[in-house]
Amino acid sequence: MTETFYDVLRRQGISRRSFLKFCSLTATSLGLGSAYAPKIAHAMETKPRTPVIWLEGLECTCCSESFIRSAHPLTKDVILSMLSLDYHVTLMAAAGHQAEKQLEEIKKKYKGNYILAVEGNPPLNEDGMYCIEGGRPFVEILKETAADAKAVIAWGACASYGCVQAAKPNPTRATPIDKVISGKPIIKVPGCPPIAEVMTGVVTYMLTFDRLPELDRQGRPKMFYGQRIHDKCYRRPHFDAGQFVEQWDDDAARKGYCLYKMGCKGPTTYNACSTVRWNDGVSFPIQSGHGCIGCSEDGFWDKGSFYDRVTDIKQFGIEANADKVGGTAAAAAGAGVAVHAALSALKKAKKSESTEKVTGDN
Amino acid sequence: MNLNAAAAELENDPQTAAGKTVYVYEGPVRLWHWINVLCIVVLAASGYLIASPLPSTPGEASDHFLMGYIRFAHFAAAYVFTVGFLVRIYWAVVGNSHARQLFMLPVTDMKWWAGLIRELRWYLFLEKQPYKYVGHNPLGHMFMYLFVTVAAVLMICTGFALYSEGMGLGSWQDRLFGWVIPLLGGSQATHSWHHLGMWGIVTFVILHVYAAVREDIMSRQTMISTMISGHRTFRE
Amino acid sequence: MGAYETQGFKMDNSGKRVVVDPICRIEGHLRVEVNLDKDNVIRNAVSTGTMWRGLEVILKGRDPRDAWAFTERICGVCTGTHALTSVRAVEDALNIKIPENANTIRNIMQLNLQVHDHLVHFYHLHALDWVDIVSSLKADPKRTSELAQSISNWPLSSPGYFRDLQNRLKKFVESGQLGPFANAYWGNPAYKLPPEANLMAVAHYLEALDFQKEIVKIHTIFGGKNPHPNWLVGGVPCAINVHDTGAVGAINMERLNLVKSITDRTKEFVDQVYIPDLLAIASFYKGWLYGGGLSSQSIMSYGDIPQRANDHSTANLLLPRGAIINGDLKKIHEVDLKDPEQIQEFVTHSWYKYSDESKGLHPFDGVTEPNYKPEGPNFKGTRTKIENLDESAKYSWIKAPRWRGHAMEVGCLSRMVLGYLQPKQFPAIKDTIDSVLKQLDIPLTALFSTLGRTAARGIEAQYCADLQVKQLDKLIANIKAGDSATANVEKWDPSTWPKEAKGAGFTEAPRGALGHWIKIKDTKIDNYQCVVPTTWNGSPRDAKGQIGAYEAALMNTPLAKADEPLEILRTIHSFDPCLACSTH
Ligand code: HEM
Ligand code: HEM
Ligand code: NFV
Ligand code: SF4
Ligand code: SF4
Ligand code: F3S
Ligand SMILES: [Mg+2]
Repeated sequence: MTETFYDVLRRQGISRRSFLKFCSLTATSLGLGSAYAPKIAHAMETKPRTPVIWLEGLECTCCSESFIRSAHPLTKDVILSMLSLDYHVTLMAAAGHQAEKQLEEIKKKYKGNYILAVEGNPPLNEDGMYCIEGGRPFVEILKETAADAKAVIAWGACASYGCVQAAKPNPTRATPIDKVISGKPIIKVPGCPPIAEVMTGVVTYMLTFDRLPELDRQGRPKMFYGQRIHDKCYRRPHFDAGQFVEQWDDDAARKGYCLYKMGCKGPTTYNACSTVRWNDGVSFPIQSGHGCIGCSEDGFWDKGSFYDRVTDIKQFGIEANADKVGGTAAAAAGAGVAVHAALSALKKAKKSESTEKVTGDN
Repeated sequence: MNLNAAAAELENDPQTAAGKTVYVYEGPVRLWHWINVLCIVVLAASGYLIASPLPSTPGEASDHFLMGYIRFAHFAAAYVFTVGFLVRIYWAVVGNSHARQLFMLPVTDMKWWAGLIRELRWYLFLEKQPYKYVGHNPLGHMFMYLFVTVAAVLMICTGFALYSEGMGLGSWQDRLFGWVIPLLGGSQATHSWHHLGMWGIVTFVILHVYAAVREDIMSRQTMISTMISGHRTFRE
Repeated sequence: MGAYETQGFKMDNSGKRVVVDPICRIEGHLRVEVNLDKDNVIRNAVSTGTMWRGLEVILKGRDPRDAWAFTERICGVCTGTHALTSVRAVEDALNIKIPENANTIRNIMQLNLQVHDHLVHFYHLHALDWVDIVSSLKADPKRTSELAQSISNWPLSSPGYFRDLQNRLKKFVESGQLGPFANAYWGNPAYKLPPEANLMAVAHYLEALDFQKEIVKIHTIFGGKNPHPNWLVGGVPCAINVHDTGAVGAINMERLNLVKSITDRTKEFVDQVYIPDLLAIASFYKGWLYGGGLSSQSIMSYGDIPQRANDHSTANLLLPRGAIINGDLKKIHEVDLKDPEQIQEFVTHSWYKYSDESKGLHPFDGVTEPNYKPEGPNFKGTRTKIENLDESAKYSWIKAPRWRGHAMEVGCLSRMVLGYLQPKQFPAIKDTIDSVLKQLDIPLTALFSTLGRTAARGIEAQYCADLQVKQLDKLIANIKAGDSATANVEKWDPSTWPKEAKGAGFTEAPRGALGHWIKIKDTKIDNYQCVVPTTWNGSPRDAKGQIGAYEAALMNTPLAKADEPLEILRTIHSFDPCLACSTH
């Protein structure tokens, strides 16, 4: 007997009436009209919890760690009631052959119906053997598991963009999962790690509304990644006023001025930190005095120092930022002009001297 | 046509004979030029201060809006700059042939190459005199094309892409220019390229102003007054 | 290598080879192969790190002030400890002195990590090796309640509470979707707890899952987020402003109160839930004392939690430093990270390349050049489909660090034993261990076991939870005395740095002694090497054939069922492996 989503809601004290209301709200919010409410109710009453297979490649497990920090909903309820976390190496009780068997069974039993959540990424150098699971390259397991998934979630900067192991020179050729998985919807939830409530928010959105969240150009859910840290930063009035922390622990730092001059990447980073905040809303990097390092942006490791605003451009070598490259070019042009002007004046003087001589001779 | 024939033709162009005056730059071109100068000065100064802000102002944040004003100046100038550029493109279509020069490089024209070589040699003090031109000389032409036409497109694309970040997903700026950001590798990289573009333009301006003044004095044709009155007079 | 003897263990690879891969409930990718004799006793053990990310290679040429962020991403489980080690290494190289408050705040964050990591390990990564969830369905909630109330004052212990929980579990099991608990070893004879104890433990598994997210809020307050809070070379990024205007975003009274409430609740949870559970569970497994491995011979700790800022001498540390070799508990050796004779890494059996692989390299001269080569006469499989590894050849992505040539066990057990042996400096450690031994009625030597490691972790969690409260008091006292400084920026600008510099940073990470070594040249990183707790414990063999701590701990353990690796998991888990850390 499989417990359905409806059973779960009922067990959590939700009445039949509010359940039906929920269904009709869902129907209208999906643009389906109230006639569809009974159909949704029927689906919810008979649907088993959605199976989730969570794979880990090259990563640091902080996406899992972040996930279990979720306060609303509680991770406990997510795992016990909302979905069925059927494979997750960091949490599951079984190991070795028993774990491998579990993976095979879920893939078969729920073919086309499970969500694949990926933390970390596959390395492609050395035939993928920089990340081995069960004696095989992780990339193979990833591809096989993706083949029968309904949808794929890319957790964190690793799965979405490559993250730290893909920073230059990327010795293992760590590769974002969308470069090895094709033909499946992939939802990127970047961040190093992403915020816990953003992670559970994305999952519960899919379960509640039975559809994928709307994504932006880069495949991120708009609802959490549609705006920059800077757009909703509570220090923004200080930015607009031109009030900056000039040095760590200076008076401005103690007053909570803007961290722009300390290299804050809030103006160039899409994430929900300044709105949702971290760990049940306690704080976020800027509130605790350090600039945003841009941890949810593609390749943020190779965008120059975390403490510069005008950052290095890697095409010009490690130590070249726009001001250095451009300033040098402008200075060289200026110096060139000065020298050229002097030479021109000299030449002109000589020329008029010689013409004068000619005239004088006349 | 080979290079030598082209050079001979340039040397003996009847249009540029000494004493002749030609109407070159029509009103809209001249007006655009000087408005553009103003915009770029404002854009470069404000842009620089956006990246490297002035020392902090003390007091309540609500009493100040310094960064806000600097950014406002940037965006206001940016709109004028962009509209001006669009009008200039329109004028290239309806204006005289010199109005079109800015938008094309005649790289298949031997005469252009001959002139370019001559102009380079002139700047290296290897020639006594450059050729005379009704419109832009090929060296200047090339620089203007790369550091004004191409650079303006770059600055407008990256600038409006950055601007779209504040206007939000779905804004017209986002729909028209939002694609630039992932293309360049993210928002921070877009800032860097936009910033570098400024230095490209600043470098051009230094060379351009110097060349204009120098040519006015040393070559056989008027320059600065041409960009004011539109008429060019040739000397011996 | 056929049969041979090393470190007192008789290695014999003739029996049936059993592979466990993946090892779950750990961080990262680990494989274990063992040979069982006819009685299912482990006679040869091989542990293999099966991932490598190349952080040491990636760090070259970067700004040393950014290194903490890179190294922090070595691991999200022991989040922050690599960052702290990194800023210490840079500060050591550049001779930067940090303010007293910065030191105290760093201590609080590090202690916070210890408690959090230990708690999550005990309940979510380790408990299911001792606790049978399915058996808990048979428990009598009333008797469970009596059991719970007999061992602790924890309020959530009524019969109704356990009945509700049991009903929820029943529904869950009946749903047929067992999620992370599917296909495990329920009913294996190696499980010894009565159903009531199982039910109580499952209840606390869930409570601990709820509570652990509260503990880390201290990282969020000082570092902006968890996992992966922010750090700063020269101090900490969070300014202190308790008296003046504009204090949102700095450490103010409200923030200090929040820290206070968390440290108090954390201590309460450890005292009233973790420790009683630990003792209750341990009392049923007193007879299962396998898994001691190297712990009775070679243990090491670098020490941590400096009382006064910038004084990293052994006497100033609140977590012990020292090494014991050859099982001589009377002699505690001084450990010096910069002495080229002491710490060396070997790659004879690791998938890396040295110019001379018979020798080890001190981390200042460390080389990290990958060299994937599965081979050897007993290797079975192909390059991309490993069936059996051959421990006589290269067989792991983990390097083999040695201290004066010895394979060492690092971690909570090492620290607690070193503390126990120095009661003057660490009276609280000695007292707690004595009381635990007394309550369980076991001798000191019983500590040198899988169970001892698990107990030491709990004891340490309690010690650190206490220290956390005290360090907060210290922070407040210092602010009260008029000192609000949190960062020293004298050498923030790279133009103030010497042309060349080198330094070492250390911490006691939850899993043990952690060191980073940095060489700086022309303001950029010239070489960066990490030797990590799991590098020590999960180490493969070295040039002399000496085995690492995991391998040693598995030796001579009998399995109840050859096809269910429960005992292997139990012992490996007792180290709390972190493979992302080990290979980095
Ligand atoms: C000649 C043309 C321009 C120059 C020289 C220029 C220069 C600059 C510079 C140097 C910056 C600072 C970049 C950094 O953060 O490193 C900047 C920022 C910016 N520019 Fe421009 N810009 C030009 C045209 C435009 C145009 C056409 C737009 C379109 C709206 C634009 C919009 C912006 C925006 C939105 C920013 C970012 C402001 C912020 O981060 O607060 N710019 N510009
Ligand atoms: C931001 C600064 C400036 C920019 C971006 C700029 C750009 C340009 C451009 C694009 C043209 C070609 C006009 C066309 O074909 O429509 C041009 C021509 C010209 N500019 Fe400027 N200009 C700047 C400043 C100046 C200044 C300060 C002077 C005077 C000293 C000057 C003198 C001229 C002259 C004389 C010409 C005509 C050149 C010729 O006939 O070949 N410009 N400039
Ligand atoms: N081994 C290890 Fe760590 C720890 N504790 C770090 O240094 O876990 Ni990821
Ligand atoms: S994205 Fe960052 S936080 Fe998540 S696993 Fe990767 S390194 Fe860790
Ligand atoms: S602190 Fe950062 S995100 Fe906040 S306003 Fe300043 S620059 Fe923007
Ligand atoms: S560093 Fe990351 S956590 Fe948020 S504030 Fe910046 S995106
Ligand atoms: Mg290393």
